[in-house]
Amino acid sequence: MKHKTLSLFRKIKLNSIQSVIALSFTSVIIFSMLIISFALYTMFSRNAEERAASSTQQIMNQVNINLEAYLKGMVQISDTIGTNFEGDTAESKINISNLLEVTSKIRKDIVTMAVYKESGDMIISYPSGILNKNISVEEEDWFKSSFKNSIEYFFQPPHVQRIFEGRRPWVVSLCKANSSYTDSEKPENYLIMVDMNFSVIEQLCKDVTFGKTGYIYIIDSSGRIIYHPQQQLIYTGLKNENINDAVNRSPGSYFDKFQGKQRIMTVKNISYAGWKMVGISYVDELEENKRSFERYLLLIIIIGVIFEIGASIFISRKVSQPIKRLESQMKLVESGNFSIQLDVKGEDEVKKLSKSFNLMVMRIKQLMDEVILQQEEKRKSEFKALQAQINPHFLYNTLDSIIWMNENGKYEGVTTMVGALARFFRVSISKGKEFIRVGDEIEHAKSYLIIQNVRYKDRFEFFIEAEPDVLRYKTIKLILQPIIENAIYHGINKLQEKGEITIRVYTKEKRIIFSVSDNGYGISPSALKDILDKEAQSEHSFGVGLKNVNERIKLCYGNEYGIEITSELDVGTTVNITIPLIDD
Amino acid sequence: MLRKMKGLISLALILFISALLIAGCGRNTIPTGENRKKISVIVKMKDASFFNVVRMGAEAAGKEFDVHVEFAGPDNEKDIEGQIKLVEEAVSGQYNAIVLAAGDYNKLAGAAEKAVNQNIPVIVIDSPLNSDRIKGFIGTDNVDAGSKLAETLIKRVGTECRIAVMNFMKGAASSDLREKGVFDTLNKYPDVHVVSNMYCNSDESIAFELTKKAINDNRDLDAIVCTNAQSSVGVARAIDTEKLSGKIKIIGLDSTPEEISYVEKGVIEALVIQNPFNMGYLGVRYAIDAINNKSVPKLTNTGLTIIDKDNMYLPENEKLVFPFTD
Repeated sequence: MKHKTLSLFRKIKLNSIQSVIALSFTSVIIFSMLIISFALYTMFSRNAEERAASSTQQIMNQVNINLEAYLKGMVQISDTIGTNFEGDTAESKINISNLLEVTSKIRKDIVTMAVYKESGDMIISYPSGILNKNISVEEEDWFKSSFKNSIEYFFQPPHVQRIFEGRRPWVVSLCKANSSYTDSEKPENYLIMVDMNFSVIEQLCKDVTFGKTGYIYIIDSSGRIIYHPQQQLIYTGLKNENINDAVNRSPGSYFDKFQGKQRIMTVKNISYAGWKMVGISYVDELEENKRSFERYLLLIIIIGVIFEIGASIFISRKVSQPIKRLESQMKLVESGNFSIQLDVKGEDEVKKLSKSFNLMVMRIKQLMDEVILQQEEKRKSEFKALQAQINPHFLYNTLDSIIWMNENGKYEGVTTMVGALARFFRVSISKGKEFIRVGDEIEHAKSYLIIQNVRYKDRFEFFIEAEPDVLRYKTIKLILQPIIENAIYHGINKLQEKGEITIRVYTKEKRIIFSVSDNGYGISPSALKDILDKEAQSEHSFGVGLKNVNERIKLCYGNEYGIEITSELDVGTTVNITIPLIDD
Repeated sequence: MLRKMKGLISLALILFISALLIAGCGRNTIPTGENRKKISVIVKMKDASFFNVVRMGAEAAGKEFDVHVEFAGPDNEKDIEGQIKLVEEAVSGQYNAIVLAAGDYNKLAGAAEKAVNQNIPVIVIDSPLNSDRIKGFIGTDNVDAGSKLAETLIKRVGTECRIAVMNFMKGAASSDLREKGVFDTLNKYPDVHVVSNMYCNSDESIAFELTKKAINDNRDLDAIVCTNAQSSVGVARAIDTEKLSGKIKIIGLDSTPEEISYVEKGVIEALVIQNPFNMGYLGVRYAIDAINNKSVPKLTNTGLTIIDKDNMYLPENEKLVFPFTD
């Protein structure tokens, strides 16, 4: 298993262009994505918390404003009745009756308005009705406590109003005791009662939700429930509410753990009635928003990363694939196949690269072909040079001369000739070596000159001057003899007087110069021009040997070396052979 | 080559953007509540005051647990076929659970079991159903209701008295069970003599006539126990017209507006009242539990409250007696 993963890693090759591009792409993008997501998330969650808190506050404020408006309306109605009530007189009754009728038309939420004497007798009510004989209001708590404290407005929590026969509405009552200021001597106290339909409060609070299941409830200062969406469940014990906690809270928001649930309790005071409005929202519902954002963000990150990894693999492949193909084809060239022509498709740069590579391979191939050709030519000319040495004509002429000398008793001459001939051939062959010492080459030339001098019966003289230092250097063999041959056949041979051949060998500027001068007939400038021209002349004519030497030198040492001829008709010819100074 | 690559990149971009959009849209559908659970509450009669309180309880639970509650019922309590149809509609309407107050002990069983077969749990409230495949029953224990009536009688009238019992339907399960509860309790008191045991067939006028006759036959009658709303009203009317209120005390059941006014008048001594709000509330709550594969109690007694002139306006009872605010 471990081995497998290792080999997989090796296969992926962490330092290949593809993986470098893919990895750096991926890491840069993932990194930036994470940073952006983190920033977004922090911003969003802070925002969400603030929004939840402020929307709770806003909603509660709104409900509070509406509630207070209703309660204030009740107080105002009560006050208006109070200021217009002028005692239990028929005139006043008509006035008040009109007032109540108008008011109830304007305020549909007002269920009942009534004025009571302290004795419990009703002075007037709107709407009127048959009084419920089963209750006596003067014995009710709200009635008694209102008279006990005639300054305060006494709000009675929601209850079923039962003062009339057959009507049992749910109301919130406002009671206010006043003392009459009629001019009668005995001012009598009276009580104004205004009932507001409880459904107004219920409607206001019922549809308020914080999050999914957060709600509002209202309690009075002693902790009695004014409104609670689950009032009945609380009474029957199916539900609990921490009302005792809320009663003692001053306005504000509190964290509160109730029945295992983390809640936020927001308390607000409702003026006029001295009630408290409590908003309950559940922390996990607020968090739900945050969690769904988390999920959304995670989804985006996953999609993004998958997309991005795909894209970077695609792009890196796109870039590295042609390079890989280039590499594999170059390997073929490396192993010796020069006939290949790359046809790599890809980006501009890669195309250019493969084009240049193609050019380079082509050039190398050309050069290699050239080298092969040169080698071949070199062999050919060397072979020709060798062939020239064993020219049968030369050989049997020489042998004839030896025989002739022998017959004439010139034994000394025979010895010289045979010795020279032997040396001549020894150097010619030189055990098949291409390069020989300069000294040997000079020896070869000397042997040749000795033989020819005998044959031409001392028609010329020769001088060999060589710097002693130069003898140990290397040269290609058989370069002097063809020049000398030329000098003899074409220069000295045509002379009437005695010819003179001088050979000088010296070094000059890291070069060895073999100089062969004769005082012969000379070469005409036009002939001179043709001699070294490769194309001109057939084989057996003038200058063939010279040309061969020149070509061999150039093949061997390069074009800057070779033969240089200076000639003047009737004065002589000098041939300079230049080769590089090559040590042993 | 370049063109091909451009095509690929734009395709990928389109995919990426559409993925984001899809994810975004998916998110947008959450707050609209379309994927909230739906619960159908089907009662015996849509506009009966008792079932309107059931509805209030059901809706309170719906709000608390964030589920959609659909309330339905036939216009007439005797329309059993109509109720069966409503149950079938709830099944085809892909509701997640059904809360059922069955109009008939036997006839609704088939429809309810069809729902159960479709993996829709059924919670039965108020009246039991003849099926062992329902998740649970929530309602008043009728035997308990009977014994509460008897206990209240003992408390108010004493252990030595002569009484009459007004039942409503011989052979009906709830009637018989309540009767059993009454007599089981009264049997413990040898000095309580039941002089008359009557059946009014849930008809107020029959109850009225039967009461008049019973009063005439038994001049020394101390109290009458009534086991449903109609019998209570009929008996109370008879006592009222005979001007015998206070002399013959009535212990009744349920709290219709008429009964309440008789309590205020002092004609009815006390009422044993049920808790329809809790039936609706618990019905929906247990239905949610059933949807979530939590265990639901087989039998839940919503309890009974005893109401009289003095305690009916106490805050804790006011909502039970007068459930409506408008």
